[in-house]
Amino acid sequence: MADPKLMDRAFQRIMRSLVQTGRAPHYAELGRAMGLPAEEGRALLRDVMAAYPIGWLHPETDYIASFPPLNNLPTQYRITVGGEQRWFAQCGFEATSATWLFPGQTVRVDAACLDCGDPVTIEMRDGRITWADPPEVVGHLAFGFGASRGRSYYL
Amino acid sequence: MNLFRAEEHARRWSQFTPRAEEGFITLADLAGFFGTESRRHMLDPDYLSMWYPRRAAERRAYLESIGKTSPFWMGTPDPPTS
Repeated sequence: MADPKLMDRAFQRIMRSLVQTGRAPHYAELGRAMGLPAEEGRALLRDVMAAYPIGWLHPETDYIASFPPLNNLPTQYRITVGGEQRWFAQCGFEATSATWLFPGQTVRVDAACLDCGDPVTIEMRDGRITWADPPEVVGHLAFGFGASRGRSYYL
Repeated sequence: MNLFRAEEHARRWSQFTPRAEEGFITLADLAGFFGTESRRHMLDPDYLSMWYPRRAAERRAYLESIGKTSPFWMGTPDPPTS
């Protein structure tokens, strides 16, 4: 496992890249940013993901798929900030946490309802919900937390 | 972990199960659940080493505060059925 301070720096590099550009860096970019050869960047990425297991790499790759609250792989939870739809949330629950990555800004979440396909929209600012359409929008945990539930609770 | 237009929409979802009847959470409670203290430090330089490790305890405490203490929400094994 890499040095904790280096892991902190790498974590911030990934998170801030996602916030600034809407995409996570490749390990070669991460390594270069950390002053490391690409292969050491790959090992560092794997260490960071192991220490942050609520995110994951795409299976059998070293590509960041999910780095919550944001997702590198598009989901139905589209995030718009400052009029730009550049981000995706990992899931509907994590979508409500994206507000903390954009302090002082309105963060809009647009999704399609999984039942009818009609829009679900919420807006938040510094953790406060400022708009919900329809007002009856509700969160739903389908399979329960914990491995014993046997299904991915991200669904 | 999804957002639906209303509870009845979730109940009509093809993957809804009877067990998931306990899976509803209001938007306000959800914002609180995903807005605990550690979440506010995701851009801090020491988030991974200092703040992320606090997340699990915060989540449990918040779920208890809103009365969601079942194994379904707490992520604990279901009690054995006899």
